[in-house]
Amino acid sequence: MSPVSRLQSLLERREFTVSAELGPPKGPNIEVITTKIGLLRGMCDAVNVTDNQTAIVRISSAATCALLVQQGIEPIMQMTCRDRNRLAIQADLFGAVALGVRNLLCLSGDHQVFGNHPTAKNVFDLDSVQMIGMVKRLRDEGLTLGGEPVDGAMPMFIGGAANPFGDPFELQVLRALKKANAGVQFIQTQCIYDMVRFREWMKRVTDLGIPEHVHILAGVMPLKSAGAARYINNNVAGIYVPDPIVKRMSAAGKGQKARDEGIRITAEIIEQVREIPGVHGVHIMAVEWEEAVQPLTEMAGLLPRPVLAEGE
Amino acid sequence: MIVAERKPIAELTSRLAPYRRILVVGCNTCVAVCSAGGAKEVAVTSALLRIALGREHPETRVDETCVERQCEVEMNAELAPSLGNYEVILSMACGVGVQTLAEQFNTAVVIPALNTKFMGRPEGLGEWSERCAGCGNCVLERYAGVCPITRCSKNLLNGPCGGSANGRCEVDPERLPCAWQLIYDRWVALGQLDRYLTNEPAKDWSSSLHGGPRRIQREDIR
Amino acid sequence: MKPYLVLGCDRSASRALADLCRTGYVLPDEVEYRTLPCSGSLDVLYILRAFEQGFERVLVLSCNDDACRSLDGSRRAAQRSARARTLLSEVGVNPRCVSFRQISPTMAADLCIWLDEFVQPLPAEAEPEKAE
Ligand code: SF4
Ligand code: SF4
Repeated sequence: MSPVSRLQSLLERREFTVSAELGPPKGPNIEVITTKIGLLRGMCDAVNVTDNQTAIVRISSAATCALLVQQGIEPIMQMTCRDRNRLAIQADLFGAVALGVRNLLCLSGDHQVFGNHPTAKNVFDLDSVQMIGMVKRLRDEGLTLGGEPVDGAMPMFIGGAANPFGDPFELQVLRALKKANAGVQFIQTQCIYDMVRFREWMKRVTDLGIPEHVHILAGVMPLKSAGAARYINNNVAGIYVPDPIVKRMSAAGKGQKARDEGIRITAEIIEQVREIPGVHGVHIMAVEWEEAVQPLTEMAGLLPRPVLAEGE
Repeated sequence: MIVAERKPIAELTSRLAPYRRILVVGCNTCVAVCSAGGAKEVAVTSALLRIALGREHPETRVDETCVERQCEVEMNAELAPSLGNYEVILSMACGVGVQTLAEQFNTAVVIPALNTKFMGRPEGLGEWSERCAGCGNCVLERYAGVCPITRCSKNLLNGPCGGSANGRCEVDPERLPCAWQLIYDRWVALGQLDRYLTNEPAKDWSSSLHGGPRRIQREDIR
Repeated sequence: MKPYLVLGCDRSASRALADLCRTGYVLPDEVEYRTLPCSGSLDVLYILRAFEQGFERVLVLSCNDDACRSLDGSRRAAQRSARARTLLSEVGVNPRCVSFRQISPTMAADLCIWLDEFVQPLPAEAEPEKAE
């Protein structure tokens, strides 16, 4: 099957790909999106568009992705199971494909208690593994989950997430295999600070043969300050910033100096993950700090991004 | 059993404010076992109501009684003769009991005194935890006896999510164990970890409340 | 009716009170004294009923932990007094209206002071008292 997206083409050509992340505004402010597009254009191969990230209401991922397509940026649409049941997910996918979206990232989604509508009723009709299977069926068999034919083709490059730092470690390894078996084609990982654990996770998924079928994109997130690192360690389950990194961030001081150090550390992490067999790209999560992507990709030697010939 | 918790007295007094003749009716089954609505709690709640409501209206009468199982019409029949003496019934049963009284005594005003919480079990003294969501199609055998629907905050059938850390669930690490850690530990102990590799398909929720209110009919018993 | 109720354990409080009365002490007019066979048997409901009947304040006098004849009776009495406070505060009764003290038969002098304190007006804006 020929690639359906630029991201897929590059990965299949074994280019080391770069994806970035765009957090949509908390309302229909297109200007914000346009500004962020400006910051990311030329710096990466595709852009993740988050879906009510951390359960905070924002302009929909599908609409933002359509705007990106219009402006010539390739989106990776994130889709969570938290807010939609199987009907809504499929309907939104039809819409997204019709509007030119080709890459999809299937997620369970952050629990609503963390967001700005903690009293909401969640959905979780499917989980991310089931969503992956459903999308594969839409695409390959042309059938909805309910078994009816899909009117039109569903060219999609299907992605999922993995957290090498979550527990139980063994399940976080095997879950990648479950996703691979369900039909996932690329996996973006949680942000990596702890190289020891990441290497171990990569070794285990490689032993299972996963990178032969699934492109693994290593997640990185530049830190803005030592405080941010401590915040993550104290408040975000499943991410861990090791002490030496926290110390480097404190030593760097405050403000711009700390931000520069954060970018430097991330560039070093990118250099290290690049050497690990099976890692086919990086995913940069500069959440609400899209300005960091340019200096970071530059420092990590990821620029310029390859250009695809027409029809490739 | 069904686990419930008494509503704050302030909420009860505001609901009961218009009434002067009140009958508090407890239930001796589940809610008595979880110390929410048995005879003891009926006595305490009634005493508190008398103190609170009696301040403004000393003529307020709060009487107490307790039936064996408020969700069964037959067991509530004993209430019928005295109901004429009261303007309102404050039911200290679970939501099923409250509805049974309302259905059975169609001229009675019935107010719930409890918040019915879940199907669960005691965990030590003064603590209860939810164990079953009544999904109508039990899958416990596939999860080593730990229910992922009830005990995983995201109901993940192919978990865990990335937020499982040190055996705790990210949603409330202090109070909640991660269901998937529990499942994993049991699988390892039973030598059944290979079960994890079978992907659980999308669940048929039609057997759950999502398929509409449920009813069981058994010809052999009718 | 008297507004204040003292619930005293037979083996400690009542003996201390008897001692005190031998010195010529007379219980304040506003205080009713009731003997409990053992404060371990004190029920939350007993305290609530007192308020229901119109008492405004209750003082529970229990044996010292090591002197309690039903082992952890004193501890239970403390717990129940605390529970009564929580419940009563739900209906707008100042939790300070329920006090709990531990006493031995030889503490007549302390009892005298406590009873004196007990009949003093409560501070207007009482802070919520911690459970004992
Ligand atoms: S699988 Fe369904 S029936 Fe079984 S324990 Fe869980 S919620 Fe209850
Ligand atoms: S941490 Fe565990 S229990 Fe909590 S949502 Fe994730 S998988 Fe479920």
